[in-house]
Amino acid sequence: MRDDYSSKLGYGLKWAYLLSIVGALLAPVFHIVYISFNEHGFSARIYEFTTDWYRVVLGDIMLVASLKWTFYLALSAVLTAVPMGLLAAKLYKRTQHKVAFVTLMLAPLFVPADIMASSLLVFFRNANGVFELLGEALGWEWLTHWFELGFLTALIGQILYTLPYAFVIILITMSRYHPQQTEAARGCGATGWQAFCQVEFPQIRAGVFSACAFVVILSFNEATRTALLKGGFDTFANVLVSQMLNVGMSGESYAMAGIMSIVAITVIGGFLIYTLIQSGRLERVARAKADPLMSS
Amino acid sequence: MRRDIESTSPTAGGGWDVPASPSPWQRLIGEDGLQKWVFYVPIAFMVLFFAIPMTATVVWSVFERTQFWMEPGFTFSAYENFFTSARVENYLSSMIHSAWAVVICFVLGFPVAVFVRRRVPRVAQHRVILLFILPFMISELVRVFAMRPVLGRYGLVNSFLMDIGLINEPITVILFSPLGVIIGDVLSFLPFMVFAGFLAMEAVQLYVFEVCDDLGAGTVRTFSDVIVPLAAPGIFAGSVFIFVNSLGVALVPIILGGPGAVNAGLIVNQAIVALDFPLAMAISTIMIVTLMALLYVGHRLFDLTKILEPIN
Repeated sequence: MRDDYSSKLGYGLKWAYLLSIVGALLAPVFHIVYISFNEHGFSARIYEFTTDWYRVVLGDIMLVASLKWTFYLALSAVLTAVPMGLLAAKLYKRTQHKVAFVTLMLAPLFVPADIMASSLLVFFRNANGVFELLGEALGWEWLTHWFELGFLTALIGQILYTLPYAFVIILITMSRYHPQQTEAARGCGATGWQAFCQVEFPQIRAGVFSACAFVVILSFNEATRTALLKGGFDTFANVLVSQMLNVGMSGESYAMAGIMSIVAITVIGGFLIYTLIQSGRLERVARAKADPLMSS
Repeated sequence: MRRDIESTSPTAGGGWDVPASPSPWQRLIGEDGLQKWVFYVPIAFMVLFFAIPMTATVVWSVFERTQFWMEPGFTFSAYENFFTSARVENYLSSMIHSAWAVVICFVLGFPVAVFVRRRVPRVAQHRVILLFILPFMISELVRVFAMRPVLGRYGLVNSFLMDIGLINEPITVILFSPLGVIIGDVLSFLPFMVFAGFLAMEAVQLYVFEVCDDLGAGTVRTFSDVIVPLAAPGIFAGSVFIFVNSLGVALVPIILGGPGAVNAGLIVNQAIVALDFPLAMAISTIMIVTLMALLYVGHRLFDLTKILEPIN
């Protein structure tokens, strides 16, 4: 067999290629963040550092309101999509119809945002009509506004978008968990809930928290589904889209894009660093257990 | 684990207390009651808000158009409208652009997956793949938007090429053109080829590469005759994802395509803005059928369930 590392140059070049791909994906985003701190905006010859564009964005009442809606939506998405992802992952483990189940859970990943959003829009309008008729017929007014476009419909759109990711992340973590441990706990007299909370959850906790981080960011970034399903409020991404299309690329829109990038980089970057440190620590512990003499 | 259990609810013999006879309320919310059904909530949600709307899309596509909405009926006028207008040409040309995006993503991204699986030490493989999560997690909107100052007339690419003297005038074909759309699609969806490729490569045992090396197979032969067939399910899944999203995400042609650039997602958007809901549903149906057909063919050819083997 050829030695993997015999050609240091070839190996180094492959690494350089990999890093250049990551760099090419990230460079435009860093460039935009860089521009957002320029007092003179894009394509100016002079670069003068300023945070004024960010001040303008954060001083704009409409934008702050949109940030609040984005936060509420992301929080609600986490509180619903992550537990549902967890339930789905647990059901996947015990179901015999794995292919059908996973197809249903992952199918939304393959349907483009605009297609899904338009189908949901028509679905909600029809559902709303049916509920209105029912409400009028039965004299129950509370039935009439269930699926009017608003926070609930936007949230449903976001859950559909984020649930497959939460499901996959938790499922991957769960694949390392041995169900015999739950059986052992049940054998000791634990209820299903106790076995889950005290035996299983501590071992899949990392996956659940990663799912939370991913859902927050996916929800924060989402624009297309929310634009069609949100009704009367705006999210941060929606305001950015409308600014870009109607006003063009202003210093303010660069700052908004900068905020979205910085939030994503901080949350996901922080999560990645934490994961790397944790896995390094666990590796050292495992190595120490396996070979206490060498590790000391 | 055992110590954990005992310390939380100690009993004389270790383990938990088990109530002798549960109350009706406990029975209702117990493991044979509501707790059993709560696991089906995600399925119910997906059926109600995904499967039903997607299936109903086909039905709505044959409804009659009214001034602001649509009414039950059976007509193919939305399909006729689509197939007899310039929309079908736009749809087909956006399919070609999407196919190009898939090819470029494969050429750029799949070797990364192979390299990580083959050459990077096993303990570090997942960490290297995690590098691709970060760009993927930055809003697609921002990533596409960020291409404008890079590809524009006075953007980074043109400035760099002019500074090193490679060109005298800015290249204008890379923005507000079909090429700009393809570049945007590639940068948006490339990480998916890396993820799907790596997932598929994880199922390929490392000794397979050793056998190829021992038998003297060259790099190209190993790649085409061994790696690609073994990783085919992942490559196909990644390709379908990129193809369908390139075809259906309207943001890319809106921001990078310039006037006249469209894809299926944008045509749907335009139909909704024009309050032509049956047409929007007809195009969505065509997209869904395209997707289902691709997945069916892929599953028959490559057995896509193999991708899930590492998870199972």
